[in-house]
Amino acid sequence: MYGFQGTMLIVDLTQGKVLTEKLDERFTRNHIGGVGFGIRLLYDRLEPGVDPLSPENMLVFASGPLSALGFMGSTGMSIVSKSPLTKLIGDSDLRGSFGRDLKSCGYDALIVTGSAKSPVYLELTDGSVQIKDAGDLWGKTTAEVQSILSRRNEKGFRILSIGPAGEKLVKYACISGDVRFFAGRLGMGAVMGAKNLKAIVMKGEKETPIADPQAMKNLMKEIHYEVLHDGSCDTLSKYGTWNNTGPSNLKGTLPTKNFQRTTFDEIDQIDGDAMLSRISAGDRTCPGCPIGCRRVVKSEQPYRISPQYGGPQYETVAALGPTVLLADAVAIAKANELCNLYGLDTISTGVTIAFAMECSEKGVLTDKDLGMHLKWGDPEGILQIIRMIAFREGAGDVLAEGVKRASENIGRGSEEWAMHVKGLEIPMHDPRGKKGIALAYATAIKGADHESAMHDDVFERENALPELGYVKPMGRKEYQGKPLLVKKTQDLWGILSDALPICKFPMAPPRPLKPNRLVSALNFVTGWDVSLEEFLRVGERIFNLGRLFNVREGADRTLDMLPNRFSEPTPGGASAGETITKENLERMLDEYYDHRGWSKDGVPTEETLKRLELKAP
Amino acid sequence: MAVTVRFVSVFRDLGVSRRLFVVEAETLEKTIDELEVQIPGLKEKLVDSHGRLHPAYQVIHTKGNRQGLCSKLDCPIADGDEIVITPLISGG
Repeated sequence: MYGFQGTMLIVDLTQGKVLTEKLDERFTRNHIGGVGFGIRLLYDRLEPGVDPLSPENMLVFASGPLSALGFMGSTGMSIVSKSPLTKLIGDSDLRGSFGRDLKSCGYDALIVTGSAKSPVYLELTDGSVQIKDAGDLWGKTTAEVQSILSRRNEKGFRILSIGPAGEKLVKYACISGDVRFFAGRLGMGAVMGAKNLKAIVMKGEKETPIADPQAMKNLMKEIHYEVLHDGSCDTLSKYGTWNNTGPSNLKGTLPTKNFQRTTFDEIDQIDGDAMLSRISAGDRTCPGCPIGCRRVVKSEQPYRISPQYGGPQYETVAALGPTVLLADAVAIAKANELCNLYGLDTISTGVTIAFAMECSEKGVLTDKDLGMHLKWGDPEGILQIIRMIAFREGAGDVLAEGVKRASENIGRGSEEWAMHVKGLEIPMHDPRGKKGIALAYATAIKGADHESAMHDDVFERENALPELGYVKPMGRKEYQGKPLLVKKTQDLWGILSDALPICKFPMAPPRPLKPNRLVSALNFVTGWDVSLEEFLRVGERIFNLGRLFNVREGADRTLDMLPNRFSEPTPGGASAGETITKENLERMLDEYYDHRGWSKDGVPTEETLKRLELKAP
Repeated sequence: MAVTVRFVSVFRDLGVSRRLFVVEAETLEKTIDELEVQIPGLKEKLVDSHGRLHPAYQVIHTKGNRQGLCSKLDCPIADGDEIVITPLISGG
């Protein structure tokens, strides 16, 4: 089977057993790989109602057919599990080379089940699978684990690990990849911690067969040339994702003070130019990508920040900056470094700290409750509360549950400023100024996710995405046409990019990874004859499978909602006066469900299931 | 016909960061032509090979309290207007 090793590895940590299972071509063609494999496996093999932190939950690490290539972020993987944060389907993508490394060991996917009696780590090579004692690693930061396991193994081993936050079952603990790449969202690190699995090390040399290597090579060459010469990726190359900060502020979509505002007065201290001037120490890229969007940072004063742990991307700058009113680039980078070392998702951490600050400001949490004086924009307080969350110390224990559960626990009206959808903290794009993103947050299978659908901004020009029928411009603040746009781009950008896998950035118009080229790449690697229509149908199938998983867990239309704060008008900036009222969201949901072929309650109809070759739960 | 122009998160290599430019122009095309005198190399980046505004950038046009996009080079610009040139953002 081209593009695949054809084998899944299953490790049962309770029994200490290791099994392999063959993949058949029908399964691979129907789900492609990555997130598609993960959701299908969980849907088929996980009983409804399972506690995400129990041994019964499954943790799936899945590569895709493009993972063996060094092609625009394709070497990454998806990590899929039932999320402890949302208790629904959860997935988080991990860039770097980890998908390729898993394939090099001979496996397209790794399924971890059960829970070890004491801390362990997995060592995978192309000749063996070993469950090893991790007693000496438990309690260590991701950087310490990286250092110990790098010394213990020969050069070239890639290392996935969790920090103390994962061990302490912080609901938004992340998984580190070589302490430079992170599967941040939805608490995959907590699932790993619950399994007593501290790390996975991998190194292999197995080749994955490619059906038409020359055609694939030519396509990659063509796309690389365009990336380097057509100007579409220039600002991403020069500024990294920091290219978002200034424009988001200008457009009035930059979450500020826990989404109370959408512009930040001190933007000049933290925008792309400020970060490049003050703390940038170069860039880093995923294998085979000529863009190099990842920024490395370095500082000695007032905080020492090592370039070893990468640097904050846009989402992190905004979450640990304007969202908590912090205007100090070095302090933001330090907060990012602490999150990386302790193993915390930076978006959820920032939004949770902002929630706690608003609780403090409104007198709902006192200094005594918090064990500290937590005020907006105070770098020392922010660094202290990050540690308290990671180690569940004092008030950090309740904040480690995420804003949904924390607000339910604290009460006193704090639910009103707990900014989440389905339990997942809202990322760094205020949806009032982007109506499509509002609907995408409400309907994404994993909760508020900024990478689940293409952003409204890219459709403000002509011929944005003709392959999907988008020729005429659509204003970002308009409602009209957004339900269909969200549906189509959820299937393509949200799902299929993580199934192949491929980086989403070069897929965003006007960049050169057009849908037809993705189909070509898939066919060149696998030898299939997939059409664009079939390709998009696979995306739709995977999305609906995720929805079915959630429906089986009790989710329905009532969860496809946004926080009340978004029905209040934004106070200033270029999105001033914009709202998403419940009535407007309900109208979009009606239209969106129609396009999806779902009932008014948000459940896929029999006809839809038949069309997508799916079965009702 | 004084028009002010700012650049946000673009063309740092051309030395435009944090600088305010003032030009005399009636259209976006004229504005870019005038800017090219002060910022050599700008036009090549901002206008694509088809002679259109490069799709990787957005031109945000503020006229009084109203903000809109200039998506074509013949977009009219008036005295006192502000132009901000930014990258087209697509999620971070």
